[in-house]
Amino acid sequence: MTTLYVLDVPENTAVATVAAEDPAVTVGQLGPYFVISAAGPIVVDRRATGCRHAVWYSCVGGVARDGRITQHDKDALRVEPV
Amino acid sequence: MSERDHRVQGVDHVAFPTFDPAATVRFYRDVLGFPVVHSICAAGWGPEDHPDFIHFFFDIGNEDRIAFFYYFGTDPSLGGDEGAKGDVYARFGTDVPEYFVRSRHLAIHVDGEEDLLEYRRRLDASDWPVEMQIQHETIESIYTHDPNGYMVEITRAMRPVTPQEDLDANLTIDALLDVVAEPEPTFGKLLARKAELIVERAAEWESAEQAGRVGAADRELAR
Repeated sequence: MTTLYVLDVPENTAVATVAAEDPAVTVGQLGPYFVISAAGPIVVDRRATGCRHAVWYSCVGGVARDGRITQHDKDALRVEPV
Repeated sequence: MSERDHRVQGVDHVAFPTFDPAATVRFYRDVLGFPVVHSICAAGWGPEDHPDFIHFFFDIGNEDRIAFFYYFGTDPSLGGDEGAKGDVYARFGTDVPEYFVRSRHLAIHVDGEEDLLEYRRRLDASDWPVEMQIQHETIESIYTHDPNGYMVEITRAMRPVTPQEDLDANLTIDALLDVVAEPEPTFGKLLARKAELIVERAAEWESAEQAGRVGAADRELAR
């Protein structure tokens, strides 16, 4: 299980929207955070989000301990089960 | 969270030494247009062979001030050998990374794009043109170095800070304190700890806006 938390502010909305395009991924809400979760990896394509670097590299609010970030670069954010 | 009431009223002044008061006055008063609002002319006193000095202040808005000390009879060697990087107060060798050298800086706030571009225009017409203009999604800033080598940023917010960002900032800091209390803090450990704090606290969070709406609805019902 992988769970990624992203703060719900206007600049981050596209991160949750793009993540949700993968049918294996569910996006919920916990307080002011998007809760993005999947049984396997979560992959978000940076270009699809339209985020530029300041927002892109600071969009992760938290990653639950059963997952970890294996890629966070100009192409994609990838969170995989540990 | 602290229950101590918050009584402070912003920056009274921030102070730096200068060895070039003429250029400093040109930059802040004549180029940027920050009025001189206060100065102290003092004869040196005290046990440390203190030189005579002028302490002078420029208004940076909201009656906040940036101040300088000019010590008669001194030159930049007072602070040590000349560095390859840094400013007249802090010098660094070529081996010190730029992100570290630039980490300490003063950012002055403006209300909007028009004001930011006005300061850009003033700087670009001077000996200290804008070195970078960066628009992130949430802020836009211009940067230059003043005649003393101090990095000065002028910045505007692209949108107001939202209440959820204050919650997020507090969760970040609490997670950071937990992580730096343990050996070998990493960004990954911080994000893992923060995820736990989000689970513990985020559900209870209610934005001030929502609370306000609920409050208004309750008052409406009570009529």
